[in-house]
Amino acid sequence: MKKKAHANSRIFFLLSAVLLVLLILLGLGLGSVRIPLREILRVLSEGDAETANAVILRSVRLPRVLAGILTGAGLGAAGAILQTVLNNSLASSNTIGVNSGAGFFVMLSMIFFPKDPAARSGMAFLGALITVLFILCLAYFAERSRVTIILAGITISSFLSAAMNLIKTLDDSIVINSLTFSIGSLAGVRLSNLAYPAIGILPAILIATLLGKALNIMSLGDGTAMSLGLKVHHYRIVFVLLASLLAGCVVSYAGLISFVGLIVPHVCRYFTGHDARVLIPASALLGAVFVLIADLAGRVLFAPYELPVGILLSLSGAPFFLYLLLKKGGRRVNA
Amino acid sequence: MLEFKNADIRVGRTPILQGISATFEKGRITALVGLNGSGKTTLLQSLNGLSSVTDGQIFLDGEDYLALAPGERAKRLSFFSQLRGSAPNISVRGLVEHGRFPYMGFSRKRSPEDLDAMEKAIDFTGLSQEADRLVSELSGGMQQRAYLAMQIAQECPYMVMDEPQNFLDLPGQRELLLLIRALKEEGKTVILVIHDLEKALRIADRIVVMDRRRIAGSGTPGECLESGLLQKVFDCRIHPAETEEGIRYLID
Repeated sequence: MKKKAHANSRIFFLLSAVLLVLLILLGLGLGSVRIPLREILRVLSEGDAETANAVILRSVRLPRVLAGILTGAGLGAAGAILQTVLNNSLASSNTIGVNSGAGFFVMLSMIFFPKDPAARSGMAFLGALITVLFILCLAYFAERSRVTIILAGITISSFLSAAMNLIKTLDDSIVINSLTFSIGSLAGVRLSNLAYPAIGILPAILIATLLGKALNIMSLGDGTAMSLGLKVHHYRIVFVLLASLLAGCVVSYAGLISFVGLIVPHVCRYFTGHDARVLIPASALLGAVFVLIADLAGRVLFAPYELPVGILLSLSGAPFFLYLLLKKGGRRVNA
Repeated sequence: MLEFKNADIRVGRTPILQGISATFEKGRITALVGLNGSGKTTLLQSLNGLSSVTDGQIFLDGEDYLALAPGERAKRLSFFSQLRGSAPNISVRGLVEHGRFPYMGFSRKRSPEDLDAMEKAIDFTGLSQEADRLVSELSGGMQQRAYLAMQIAQECPYMVMDEPQNFLDLPGQRELLLLIRALKEEGKTVILVIHDLEKALRIADRIVVMDRRRIAGSGTPGECLESGLLQKVFDCRIHPAETEEGIRYLID
């Protein structure tokens, strides 16, 4: 069975990687202007061409594709971490309120630092961090850490959404930004927006994967994990912080994208099993594929009009979420 | 020897036990018995950190147990939890491998010693045929065995078991008692929370009795019977009866 699981994992990683490369090329080539593969490869290899297509590729499509990869990888990995560490199949950065926390702080940065996009990444992570620390404190004082984290997250999320709407209502100047922000969109992302998030997202995925064995042990329950010598409370904080970092970084440039972190880990578990050391990178990879498909569909389906990626992800994600509610009732997800 | 000295124990911020003193002798099977809510699980969970000791001390072979690092504790004392939630979606072998966690370095690679301990534990619990099946697909009794195999793979001299007979049918319970005896033969110290008084009297070398969150007394099964301690705490009569298989106890 273990050999079969390994074979399944290998096939999954191989197919997902091939699909990702294909989607990257499609993402670079398709749009209002079609750019042939040969020209894409030439512009990417030479880097200094100044044709119209080269400008489109470098300043519009390449940042957008990279943003899609980082978004999917960050949210997919964050979902896999949270679902395992909280032993709840309905956990994601959305459901525990981390996205809303990051979103609220990004909105504050739009007010206080409107011309400083770098401030967004920092504020997003700060927002995610403050929210998650607040939720962990609540859980600690309520003495029921796992369920309370989810319930507190949903409550905080609603509160912060209302606060964001209040800001939108009171400050007309940020309404245009905040519309795409609250839906989640990759349009208009620049390479400079991605530098700081990438520095956060890629190491966080790597660290979480390296600590995956601890995540596997935690999924056995606190009592058993502590009996095996694991510092459960320390690790829980580390993993929740890593998930916050991932979600915060994504929210800083892509807005409040939903459902990726919820759906992707479930699909991955089906193919790769429950070992967090495999599940986290698998969720990052499939998350990237998932977001690129949604973004590409949003650009191509109704061209020349564009649908923000968040709309397509929510349209496909919501039915899956309901399916989970009906089938599993939000019970444990074991690794 | 495992020794609780004047231990005050709380769960979360709620104090549950006060001034508990009890000893569990090395190389023996000790049954911890008492009515529901008497504090047995709270007492033992102070050993794995689910309940916390706010005052007093716990000594393990003369060392301050609470001062030991979690990884060091896990090499000396293993714990079979009563409450574990739903079964994990991993193979029996994968679960048993988790028992080797305290011995694995940062890379978490399995050493030949780890593999050897895993195979021994799987054989010992009779799970060789089921080793590659998912734990979640096994019956409740088989799952208990899988967790027991994980605990055995941990290779600790002290083994605490909180109601391991849960979910086991009659033959399963009989086999469990044989397994526990075999562990004692291997030199293990077993501390067992058990609700079946008859089985406790049969298997234990010593019995520690808890009543209303206090230690009501302790001794060999014979001493506990003779003093009337068990009869008083459990409000029952116990009649020893000679059988071909040794002494059995009728409880009413």
